[in-house]
Amino acid sequence: MPYGGDASIRVARVTHVFPGGLLALNDVTLQVDGGEFVSIVGPSGCGKTTLLNLIAGLVEVQEGNVAVANEPPMAGRRDVAYMLARDCLLPWRSALGNVMVGGEFRRVPTAERRKRAHDFLEKVGLRGFENHYPKALSHGMRQRVALARTFSLDSPILLMDEPFGALDAQTKLQLEDALLGLWGAERRTVVFITHDLAEAVTLADRVIVMSCRPGRILADIRVSLERPRSVRALQKNPRYHEIYAQVWTKLEEGLSETNSLT
Amino acid sequence: MASPRRQALIVLAAQIVALTVFLVVWEWAARTRLINPLFIGEPSKIFAYFFDGLFVNGVMLKGAAWTLSETAVSFLIGSVGGILFGLLFAVFPACEKFFDPVLSGLNSLPRIALAPLFVLWFGIGAASEIALGVSLTFFIVLYNTMAGTRGVDSDWLVLSRMLGASSTTIFFKVTLISAVPTIFSGLKLGLIVSLLGVIAGGIIAGQHGLGQLLSYLAGTFETNGVFAVLLLLAIIGAALTSLMNAVERHLLRWR
Repeated sequence: MPYGGDASIRVARVTHVFPGGLLALNDVTLQVDGGEFVSIVGPSGCGKTTLLNLIAGLVEVQEGNVAVANEPPMAGRRDVAYMLARDCLLPWRSALGNVMVGGEFRRVPTAERRKRAHDFLEKVGLRGFENHYPKALSHGMRQRVALARTFSLDSPILLMDEPFGALDAQTKLQLEDALLGLWGAERRTVVFITHDLAEAVTLADRVIVMSCRPGRILADIRVSLERPRSVRALQKNPRYHEIYAQVWTKLEEGLSETNSLT
Repeated sequence: MASPRRQALIVLAAQIVALTVFLVVWEWAARTRLINPLFIGEPSKIFAYFFDGLFVNGVMLKGAAWTLSETAVSFLIGSVGGILFGLLFAVFPACEKFFDPVLSGLNSLPRIALAPLFVLWFGIGAASEIALGVSLTFFIVLYNTMAGTRGVDSDWLVLSRMLGASSTTIFFKVTLISAVPTIFSGLKLGLIVSLLGVIAGGIIAGQHGLGQLLSYLAGTFETNGVFAVLLLLAIIGAALTSLMNAVERHLLRWR
C-alpha cells in the first residue's frame, strides 16, 4: 500500500467565529484515523464546510488545534487532495488534461501523470472520453473526471465537500459506487461532507452528526457494515436501514433541541 | 413547411432580386436626373470606378494597401499595449488604482478629438492615422483584458491553491487562459476600431490611404469614386471580421 505513514486528522476543541461575530463552530473535537472514511452530516449552515476548510488550511484556525498528519494544516500540501461540489474542470482542457492538471501543478513528470490520468479515467468509467472537452460531457461525467483528478494525486488524505451534492439522484448512486471502488482499492483517509444521510451511511466507516449553527458534534456513529459495499445491495440490508434510522434520530434531536432554544 | 435548406435558397433568391431591383431603380433615377447623380452617383459608373481602381489604374489598390498596413500596425501596438497593461493591472491592482483617473478620463474622451493634436505631433500622414487607431484600440483591449482576468472562477483558484500551484502558475495556467475569450472579443472589436481610426485619421490628415482618397474624391465631387471606396471599405471590414471569427473559432474550440 503506497499510503503508509501517518494520515490521521486531529481536531481538538476548535471554536470558530465568522467576521461579524457569528459563531460557526463551538468546541469541536474530532479524530480521524489513517485509512478511515468519515462522513460529516448536518443541516445547511452548520459549519461542516468551515470545519473542512480548517482542515484544508483554507481557513485559519482561531481557537483550538488542528493537526493533519501531525502537522498544522496548510493549503497546497502534497498529502492532501480536495474536491468540491462543483467539478471545477478547466473548460479549455480535455478530460485527460483536466485529470493531469493536479500532477502538473505538483510538478509530477509528464509521462507518469499521463499514465495515472489514463488509469483513473478508466477506473471511473470514462475510457474513450479522454479527448472530450468538458462542454461535451454530462454533469455526472464531469464529476467523474473530477473524481479521477482527485484520486490520480498520490495524496493519502482526501477532503471532499459535498462532491455529489449537485447531481441527480440516479447519477449520485453511480458515483457513490465509483467512489467506493476507488477508495476500497487504496483505503486513503477521507473526510466527506454531505447533507445526504443515506450517502453518509453508504460510504463511511463513521458518521459524525453535527447540530445547527453553532456547529457542535452531536453523535459519532460507527457504520458496522461489511466492505466491499455496493449501493444497490445496501438498500436490501436491514442493518443499513437501522444505522440510517439511528443517524436520522440524532440529527432530528439536534434540530428540535435548537428549535426549542429559539 | 419548406426544409431549412430550401428556405435559405428562397431567401437568397429574394435578396438577389431585391438588390437587382434596387440597383436598376438607382441607375434609372440617376440617368433620368430624377435625383441629381452628383449626390447619389450611378451604379454602373461606381462599378466601373471600382474595377479600374482595383485592376486598371490601381488607385484604390494602393490606397487599400496603405490603409491595411497602417491598420495592422495600429492594431498591433494598441492590442499588445492593451493586453500588457491589462495583465499588469491584474497582477498589481495598486497600479490600476494609480492610473485609474487618467485612464478613465482618456477613455471617456471622444478619441477622434485627439486628431488635431496627433497631426501637430506626428504631422500629416501615416503616423497620425496610426496614432488615432492605437488610441481607440488600446482602451478596448485594455478593458477587456481587465474584465477577463477579473472574471476568473474563484473555485478554480481555490482548487489550484489546494493542488499546490504557485501564484505564477495559477496566473498563467488558470487566470490568463480563462480570460482569453473576453480578451479575444476585445481584439475583434479592436481590429475594427483600428480600421476606423486609420480611416478617420486619413480623412482628417491623410497622405496615401483610403481615408485620404475618400476625402479627396468627395472634395472634387467624384461621387462614383466615393461610393466605390465605401464599397471596398465594407468588403475590407467584413473580411477582417470573418478572419477574426475564424481565428476565434479555432482558438476557442473548447467553448
